Amino acid sequence: MIATLIAQVESLKDAASSEAQTLDSVILGEQFYFFTVVIMWLIHAGFMSYETGIARRKNALATAMKNILTIAVVTPTFYYFGWWIYNCNQPGLPVGPNSSDFTSVACQSGIPWSDTFGPNLTNNINLVFFLAFLLFSWTTASIMSGAIIERARLSAYLILACILGSAVWILDAAWGWSAGGWLTLRFGFHDSIASGVVHGVAGAFTLGVLFNLGPRIGKYTREGLARQFRPHNLHMTLLGLMLIFTGFYGFYAACLVIASTTFPGWANIYLSPTTLGSIAMIITFGFAGGFTGGYFASRGDPFWTVSGGLAGVISVSAGADVYAPTLGYLIAMASAAMVVYAGTWIEKTQRVDDAVGAVAVHGVAGFLGMLWVGVFAAGYPTGLNNVDSSIGGQLMGMATFLPLGFLTGYFASWVMKKLNILRVPPEVELMGLDVAEYDPDLYLPEMASPGEVIVEPDGTIVPSEAILRTARDEVVV
Amino acid sequence: MPGIINSAPDCVTHAAGSEKARVDDSADFILQADYSDCAGFMTFGPGSTYGDEGTGADTAYMILTWLGIVVMVLVLVAWVLYENRRLIQFAVGYRAGGPTTGPPPQPGGVGDSQ
Repeated sequence: MIATLIAQVESLKDAASSEAQTLDSVILGEQFYFFTVVIMWLIHAGFMSYETGIARRKNALATAMKNILTIAVVTPTFYYFGWWIYNCNQPGLPVGPNSSDFTSVACQSGIPWSDTFGPNLTNNINLVFFLAFLLFSWTTASIMSGAIIERARLSAYLILACILGSAVWILDAAWGWSAGGWLTLRFGFHDSIASGVVHGVAGAFTLGVLFNLGPRIGKYTREGLARQFRPHNLHMTLLGLMLIFTGFYGFYAACLVIASTTFPGWANIYLSPTTLGSIAMIITFGFAGGFTGGYFASRGDPFWTVSGGLAGVISVSAGADVYAPTLGYLIAMASAAMVVYAGTWIEKTQRVDDAVGAVAVHGVAGFLGMLWVGVFAAGYPTGLNNVDSSIGGQLMGMATFLPLGFLTGYFASWVMKKLNILRVPPEVELMGLDVAEYDPDLYLPEMASPGEVIVEPDGTIVPSEAILRTARDEVVV
Repeated sequence: MPGIINSAPDCVTHAAGSEKARVDDSADFILQADYSDCAGFMTFGPGSTYGDEGTGADTAYMILTWLGIVVMVLVLVAWVLYENRRLIQFAVGYRAGGPTTGPPPQPGGVGDSQ
């Protein structure tokens, strides 16, 4: 009798302990994603600082405001249709209310009127997980923002940000960045920390936009040689990059799935086992290799050295869950060097005015990242079907993402160009966006300086006013 | 005093008082008696126990959501129109004789320390 009673008490204790452990696990996961979201805010503080520093002073405030307002538009659009796109389109297009997938639980939880979006006491994770993805969306939209500064309209950027941040990238994420996406299931596509899914697609989208937007007035000489606009505060730009780097640790962590009751406690987005430490290790070696490659390829140029760090990390992201540190270091170094050359080629040979090198740093490095997995990390089972990663699968993903990103960016900006709402009037561009959009009296008198200058292709620095006014008539907008 | 809009779902019971904290666990202080029938209770939401997780809400919450979608679209359109008007006004004023204030001074010139 007593023995039975003791056994029952022990059983109740075990049950209580188990319940507490489960609750602890849930709250641990909730807190984990919450803090990744907080850390990822630094990416946006960084993008703002980075791009504002690159801008000429007459465009500084407009550049900063553009970044901040990304949050104002991508947040609701991602909530109203972005999360639905991710949860309901993983098997591929088209899906809709009559699709069998639409009735699935995952899909239902993605619709904006789902009860999982409120304070649902039975689901602690859904909202913080949604927020982590929302921060990914801000990041993706912000990648495009820097490339188009100093001549794109704020409203045009905001609409493009919604398209990229709340539709395009999340659609490719549904296809290739989920355990049940068709690229994953059929081809073993492997992009664990979103080299291509976020950065590659954003770079391709940006390139499409830049083709329609055109260069800044005065960027190229009549002969097609590239001039340089001097950043108004390079220190601010470098600080911004450092903030982005810090935020990237949160980004990387948020790309993992925490499963604290299952060994080893962590899984990548494809639900394959990994560890937080291994991911953090690769990101750090990615920075190291990227800085080094960027420094030597650019012969010590500060902008490209630090941008090389970003390119390095992006290039190792796809395989960060399986790479050895040395491989990550070498891949990042080589990729950063390639990105420097690609950036120069895009600017000087292709005459695409990408103010911050986003197409090279994010686009080229992102696609390289996908490629490297096929070259160096084939054979890792990926997704619910356990299809091995392979060069074929990676090429399939690249062949899908490149047109998806480029064509949507090109078409959306083409429509805006036809409606004459893509670019500011030339008068505004010459005077500076701050004057037209915000308070013109931004600067203290003691901050006055002789005037805006421009760096000619031969390296001479000359006052810009006459060049810009002449160039206004040379540039076909 | 009642609120102007009482959006609490029916699962919120408004029972007098609530369970007292358990004496053997001082951390157990969440006053959840009024909400014990609720899986969730967001404003205008369906409330009650939801049953299958993820089923869509209906009526008031659906209307609220679509209201948000309409506002989101209107905001984007307004942003385009407002900025367009502002930029055109500036450009017209510039062509007519220039703005009343000049552009802010730019760094990087000869003798500039920046």
